[in-house]
Amino acid sequence: MAKLDIPNAADDELVRSAQKGNMAPYEELVHRHRDKIYARAFSMLRNEEEALDVSQEAWVKGWQRLKQFQHNSSFTTWMTRICINLCLDFLRKRQRQQTDSLDQMEEETGGVERRMDVEDYNPTEEMERSELRKEIDAAMEKLSYEHRTVLVLHEFERMEYKEIAKSMQCSIGTVMSRLFYARRRLAKILISLKKERQN
Amino acid sequence: MKQEDRLKIQAWLDGELAPQESARIADLIDNDLEAKELADDLRAMQKALEIGEKPVFLEDSREFYWSQVERQIEAEEPITENSQPELVSGSLGDALRWLIPVGSLAAISALMLNFDSIDTTPDLLETSEPGIEIPPPSPANPPSGRVESSGTALEEESPVSPEVGVFSFEGTQNGGNLSSPEDPNTLPESIENPER
Repeated sequence: MAKLDIPNAADDELVRSAQKGNMAPYEELVHRHRDKIYARAFSMLRNEEEALDVSQEAWVKGWQRLKQFQHNSSFTTWMTRICINLCLDFLRKRQRQQTDSLDQMEEETGGVERRMDVEDYNPTEEMERSELRKEIDAAMEKLSYEHRTVLVLHEFERMEYKEIAKSMQCSIGTVMSRLFYARRRLAKILISLKKERQN
Repeated sequence: MKQEDRLKIQAWLDGELAPQESARIADLIDNDLEAKELADDLRAMQKALEIGEKPVFLEDSREFYWSQVERQIEAEEPITENSQPELVSGSLGDALRWLIPVGSLAAISALMLNFDSIDTTPDLLETSEPGIEIPPPSPANPPSGRVESSGTALEEESPVSPEVGVFSFEGTQNGGNLSSPEDPNTLPESIENPER
């Protein structure tokens, strides 16, 4: 059998070799995808140090569970799911140490968001893409972890409601409600950021 | 408009609404101004988020990052990866998973019985008649259990016992992790609950 050309091998080949216990291909996979995994951890945790720790823990779990990977999805999707689950566990643990968040109370009482006018916010005008990304990032940071998480999972990870519900250990109805208020709140924050920028 | 309908408008835009409801919601959006405005708002937000996330990059070097991951991997898998690479595979591994603790118990039981016999041996020696010479222990033919300094002699006599201790210890310390490393159940934690 030909020796694996690690730097030039496809992810799938590296995974199959690593599944046999070879660590060098796994190291290459870590090199290739560490930024993506870290970025997902950071987008959920909004803390560099915690994101670094969780991303490394995800790679450790990935190695330990590699034999369970069935190649039904891409390796990065699989790794990202591991990272998301670790982030959710981390956030749940952190949340348990806090009192109920204001956002949850608002959701339960019907919410305080008012509808925004369509003309208030048109994301495609005026701003460069990179600027808009920065602004969205700043707005995401201001969301509660429940709202941010549901947005990240739905908008960026393209997860369905039922998948999100399973990951977040809540009902589909809660996911729908959180997503609704998360979008409302994000819009409101973006409008206020726009006003700040204009002043 | 009811909150339920708002959520359904959102679900419709997300492609998550059941087909039988879709027609009604589409009709609502066409004919109700508030519903239309809400749908427009949600579309605008979807469009904004389509642009994606701000890129984030790790500051640590590749080597440093990997070294930390590798160290954690090695710290968490000392037995399955290094100590028992051959013993723990397939059905043999499954069999050994049970045989080792059972064998250990049997060996310990045998050892306990030996201890009983050792306890009685000095009495036999003391009550033996004077004039009977007990030959000194020779390395080639060591006496079996008939020793005064029983601890040391037993260790020399029974090379099995330290191994039994090691197997027994590892088995209990790791909650049965002597089983095959291919068995996902041997992993220390689940993904769903990584807390330690």
